[in-house]
Amino acid sequence: MQPILLFGLETELGIARDGAPNLDTVAESIALVRSATEPGVLMKWDYGCEDPHLDARGFRVAALRQDADEAHYFARDAQRRLTHAEIKSDLVLRNGARFYNDHAHPEYCTPECSTLDELAAHDRAGERIATACARALSEARGATVRLYKNNTDFRGHSYGCHENYLLPRSLPWEDLVRGIQAFLVTRQIYAGAGKFALETEDRFLASGFQISQRADFFSELQSVDTMQRRPIVNTRDEPHANPARWRRFHVILGDANMSPFATRLKVGATALVLEALLREPRQPWPELADPLDALRTISRDPRFRWEIKLHGRRPATALDVQRHYLAAVQARCDLTAPDRARVVADWEAVLADLATDPHRCCDRLDWVAKHALLREFQAAEKLPDDHPWLTSLDLEYHRLDAAAGLYFDLERGGAMRPGPPETEVQRALAEPPRSTRAWVRGRCIQKFGPEVLLAQWDHVTLRGRRGPVPVSLLDVFGPAEIQQLSQRLADAQTPEDLRTRK
Amino acid sequence: MPDQARKSKPASPGPGGGGGDGPSAPKVDKPNVEELLKRMKKVDPDQARRYRQRTGE
Repeated sequence: MQPILLFGLETELGIARDGAPNLDTVAESIALVRSATEPGVLMKWDYGCEDPHLDARGFRVAALRQDADEAHYFARDAQRRLTHAEIKSDLVLRNGARFYNDHAHPEYCTPECSTLDELAAHDRAGERIATACARALSEARGATVRLYKNNTDFRGHSYGCHENYLLPRSLPWEDLVRGIQAFLVTRQIYAGAGKFALETEDRFLASGFQISQRADFFSELQSVDTMQRRPIVNTRDEPHANPARWRRFHVILGDANMSPFATRLKVGATALVLEALLREPRQPWPELADPLDALRTISRDPRFRWEIKLHGRRPATALDVQRHYLAAVQARCDLTAPDRARVVADWEAVLADLATDPHRCCDRLDWVAKHALLREFQAAEKLPDDHPWLTSLDLEYHRLDAAAGLYFDLERGGAMRPGPPETEVQRALAEPPRSTRAWVRGRCIQKFGPEVLLAQWDHVTLRGRRGPVPVSLLDVFGPAEIQQLSQRLADAQTPEDLRTRK
Repeated sequence: MPDQARKSKPASPGPGGGGGDGPSAPKVDKPNVEELLKRMKKVDPDQARRYRQRTGE
């Protein structure tokens, strides 16, 4: 049996408004989310069952490093005279996605997807929804509200694009970490979004180009934290599924990609490596001598040679490590499905092109496209390496406005591989992926929206005549379970019809 | 690979293109680059200096 692998993305966006240098980004982010006109359910997210202090290593931490900051922000937010629910302004959409204000950033969480085509379409649907909100808010404010799908303000403040992968709990945590670490550190050679700045937490260090936006912000190997002293492997144990059977592998290391090709390759390769790990967890995976040092060394290497040291001080390159993982996937995973075959073919081609000349990837990878474009501009304008214009253009690459952002100019001009087909994007705006439990969530929103009392990734609670009707999604992952629950939902005339008989 | 992807690519790093021997010159047509460079000139050079965000996750 194939291990069931679901994936999804949570993307925090940067926000700014023309003529507002001291913008209250919390208020702006709340207003932006509140500008949404997409059908959905507002402020019904169930926070009662979330616990970010649970650690996958088998304990619960007393406090997160961000708790003090959170308390400070909570005190400030208390002065806004808004409830917690109003500050978060969670919107659960008819396509099964979640859109809300998270720590001063509008965040779009795709519904759970089981194919990369679904994921690419839903990621772009999220861009469209956020952009429509920015347009509406710009009109209301009388000034342009700008959104950026990037990961830094170039002053040491980072925000994430997290990936989630659902795995059977049978894979021991220690084996998972040992096997995946070198892969996560080295995949930036194709998954990096590129950055014209060097930073550290809370500080700009110097000008210069690096291939990753996020590499500057990681200083731990493993921990449950996500906002300070971030870890390469995040140990948050919040499966949003039956915890006896499932774990959610929460990857916080990655950059937000503008290029759908890069998003597909990043998530597709990671999912396949996880599957190879599930099939043979104890095989000899590459081990880095110093993963944190390798993370920064690879990102900042101006020659793009990405030389590192493996355990035992053996010299290697990030390309060598990626080739090892690719070979392991080819040896252990069933790659007959077109989606999987395409990932492996793309992965192989990208590694070959990066080895020959990274510029060959400028039609697919964000860091290469950005580097080439901005260096061209730099040469034309005779700018020094530390000119602030380069950083401003870096930001503009990530502007989430199809009519203005530099990335979209490249895509429209044919310089980047095309994004998902428009029909798929339109479908993703209106419908959840059919092959996952998100279908049930989305259809609940569509059919019984006004009756939704609570919503979460693993349940929806509806208002019934005889009290709340819980619809559990805790174990709804196989095609049979999804089909069965979808049919019950289709047949239900009222929420009461969904009540499970005891 | 779609042919479209080969038609227009950002051009090479120029002489002011920073250190290292990074991505080298592409040998492809670049019909839209001039237009794009003009658009890039309209981007406020100081917009990143004003861009301030709160730390997220």
